[in-house]
Amino acid sequence: MPSPQNRVDYSPIIDRPVIKWPNDARVALWIAPNVEHYEYEPEFDGHRDPWPRTPYPDVQGYAYRDYGNRVGFWRMTDVLDKHNIRCCVSLNMAVLEHFPEIGEAMVQRNYDFMSHGIYNTRYLNNYTEEQEREFYRDTIDTLKQHTGKQLKGMLGPAISGTERTPDLMAEAGLIYHTDWMHDDQPVPIRVNSGKLVSVPYSIELNDAPLFRQHYEGDYFAEICKAQFDQLYQEGAHSGRVMCIALHPYLIGQPHRAPYLDDVLGYIMSHDGVWQTTADDIAEYYIANYYDEAVEHAARLNG
Amino acid sequence: MPAQRRFGMDHPHYDWSPISKRGILRWPDNARVALCVIVDLEKPEWDPPADSFTTPFAGGLGARGYPDYARLSHREYGHRVGIFRVLDTLRKHGIPATVAMDAMTAENYPYLVQHCLDAGAEIIGHGVSLSRVITSNMSEAEEREYISQSVSTLTQATGSAPVGWLGPEYGESARTPQLLSEAGLRYVCDWVNDEQPYPLHSPHGQMFTLPVMWELDDVGALWERRVVVGRYQQLLEESFETLYEDGQQNGRVMALNLHPWLIGQPFRIGYLDRALGRMMQRGGVWAATGSQIVDWYRDNPPTA
Repeated sequence: MPSPQNRVDYSPIIDRPVIKWPNDARVALWIAPNVEHYEYEPEFDGHRDPWPRTPYPDVQGYAYRDYGNRVGFWRMTDVLDKHNIRCCVSLNMAVLEHFPEIGEAMVQRNYDFMSHGIYNTRYLNNYTEEQEREFYRDTIDTLKQHTGKQLKGMLGPAISGTERTPDLMAEAGLIYHTDWMHDDQPVPIRVNSGKLVSVPYSIELNDAPLFRQHYEGDYFAEICKAQFDQLYQEGAHSGRVMCIALHPYLIGQPHRAPYLDDVLGYIMSHDGVWQTTADDIAEYYIANYYDEAVEHAARLNG
Repeated sequence: MPAQRRFGMDHPHYDWSPISKRGILRWPDNARVALCVIVDLEKPEWDPPADSFTTPFAGGLGARGYPDYARLSHREYGHRVGIFRVLDTLRKHGIPATVAMDAMTAENYPYLVQHCLDAGAEIIGHGVSLSRVITSNMSEAEEREYISQSVSTLTQATGSAPVGWLGPEYGESARTPQLLSEAGLRYVCDWVNDEQPYPLHSPHGQMFTLPVMWELDDVGALWERRVVVGRYQQLLEESFETLYEDGQQNGRVMALNLHPWLIGQPFRIGYLDRALGRMMQRGGVWAATGSQIVDWYRDNPPTA
């Protein structure tokens, strides 16, 4: 099994096969709302405490996030609908069981889904190989049952994983992993069987690290536009990926949703934007560029 | 050891010297400010050796359990993508890069070594890995071996021995300046305490500091203090203006320490570009590498 360090061959972005997106788009834009459920009384795995502030439950922390499903999600989708955005939802699968109206609203809009685990309070780090295998079976089956969709990718639950994660994902038939913040283009990840790529997600253009720590909606809008401008310029030569990661409990707050509207209005007013999903980016990349990228990196690294 | 209550520094590395009582430092062509941009190429390990000292270094969602995909891959962004934006920006403004490169990068990224050399960068020592920081936990022999490993790896990778040094995370033991000097290094950037170079005491040949502005370090400002990036651009410009003013009387150095995984992100690079552009529009700015600045200082010391 490759160690995490050796999963990805070095490949400098200035020296790669040129990527052409459909219709010569410069930027593949995907919007990733994290539709999550945090358990009221989770089980502490002994390593990472889901609610470190108080003994369980932490009602303030729990309810803050639950707001996302009760209110924020619906305000967020109104804004996304206004700009005809088809999302790739980072989904805690148990949401489909707890809150079926959310599942229906997403299916109605023909969103794509990547797994974000079952609950955001259950982390992969300590899973045995067999537990992790079962975890993929569960997420694949749950998604299929409630949406009819075949699962293709994952952002680890609360961005957690094991050394084995890429191999076990590929073994389960998944084709992309978004826990890698290492690039502005998809990149092959070395696995034991099948083909797996990283699709660039963002923890910088991401309302959770931004708004939970220091920043506000105006800054979010400023940096999203600056990110787009830079990638749009570079994408004239070779296609780039831009992801905006959202959490309904944050971006769906009344004082923030207008900034999402502002950002999407700005970006979508440009030609040459492929508004798409991580599913489609991964499939397109694997069909057109994966083999070339692997060969190119092998040559470069001797 | 606790300080003795007497005049001067409580360590042997350099003399007490208030800037107001110094001679006049004149840069080439009477420049007011010597601008040095240090670019860090540092490679943290996913699973560092148990006996290494590792800070909870920046990136990702903060330090998480192994394997920390988000944080380690975030740092890798600098090597894959960010470095090229940063070097392009420096070239655009005619600023030669000073690249602080750790041994893990020099060994595993020959492409980047060559790219930096082709860009005319000076490559300086930056330890073995971001996840192996020098501290007083090291024995003298271990620290000597650590410095030697960094220097010999860079020498092999670049074809010449580095003359400058920046410790990963600015890490030093109480012996580091002497050991660096013994290893043939001639300047060190860890001491963020001045606006001019100054000499260090060393039994092994002349040794100087090239002081970095810690408040303008992109990790310190953007990550740790969470300055918004537009304000960071202003900080750079405001800092420069004051140094430019003060540098009319007595030359100043503005040494920036930047991290491509952070400042090289698409949404951040434009702010750096604009700040450097405003600085370089002015007359009387000498953009130089660390060794050019230190060599000049050595050959043209401040005069009364």
